[in-house]
Amino acid sequence: MSNVLRPYLAAVRSTLTAALTLEDFSSQIVERHNKPEVEVGGSKEVLLNPLTISRNENERVLIEPSINSIRLSIKIKQADEIERILCHKFTRFMMQRAESFIVLRRKPVKGYDISFLITNHHTDSMLKHKIVDFIIQFMEEVDKEISEMKLSLNARARVVAESYLSAFNS
Amino acid sequence: MDAFRKIDIDQYDEDVLPDSELFPTDPRDPSTLLTEAKQKAAAIRNNLSKGDVAGALDIVLSDPPYGPGVDEAKNLTLQTLVTILNTTKSTDIPPILKSLSQDSQDTLMKYLYKGMALPGWGDVSGSVLLGWHEKLTEVAGTGCIVRAMTDRRLV
Repeated sequence: MSNVLRPYLAAVRSTLTAALTLEDFSSQIVERHNKPEVEVGGSKEVLLNPLTISRNENERVLIEPSINSIRLSIKIKQADEIERILCHKFTRFMMQRAESFIVLRRKPVKGYDISFLITNHHTDSMLKHKIVDFIIQFMEEVDKEISEMKLSLNARARVVAESYLSAFNS
Repeated sequence: MDAFRKIDIDQYDEDVLPDSELFPTDPRDPSTLLTEAKQKAAAIRNNLSKGDVAGALDIVLSDPPYGPGVDEAKNLTLQTLVTILNTTKSTDIPPILKSLSQDSQDTLMKYLYKGMALPGWGDVSGSVLLGWHEKLTEVAGTGCIVRAMTDRRLV
């Protein structure tokens, strides 16, 4: 892990650990329903204060805790147009396969690139520290992945341009 | 559409929960809070010139303004706090944090999150806040974050 990223990820890790204290909670409005309260937003008393952790304007994490679910939204660093496109494609690819990731949300929260929804069922069936590790690992990997893709895209563009322009060289 | 369809009928329900019942209201009115915040800012400048960071933090974190309608006092307090945080050397932070009371630690945590959530930033630096956050978590533990999360008295 790079040294500049470490305090940011440490803050996300501790906040997420604090927020992941979930319990089973039936809906107060509809009988025999059990919904993630952070998504329904029906009653104020079960929602907690949303917390933001940010490194700069372009890299931030929003954690919205509630009694039986938390929503974690990530804004991924996008320095230029290519990174924006790559990030969009990458997150879209993952969100279309949201079932395989279990805690992934199909749509990001407005203003963010990708969202996770963790409910009490997830914390019941999976280990809490492993969920936290997964999120942190995802955040580490996604930056690396996007800059790698950008490099290979540029390399490919160079090869294509060279072979195309060589036709005019003779 | 007919106007009556837009009426929020839930507000007439007998077990409806208004915002004001979620936390105790501040007995002080906005103007006194603002003058208090100004006095504190002056006292803190005095403390900082003497190099007494722990004392300055103690003053700014005691009885912070909270609740709706006191944005001016809140912003002033946040600005004063940020100047303190920016002027402190990173090696001095842990002993200062240990000397704070638990309430002050919780309030500091709330201000750290508030500073990071600000859209425009200004003179707030992310790495400074993250550094303080990390050290505060080491000293006060995850419980401090939970209290910042559950306390409705937003600073």
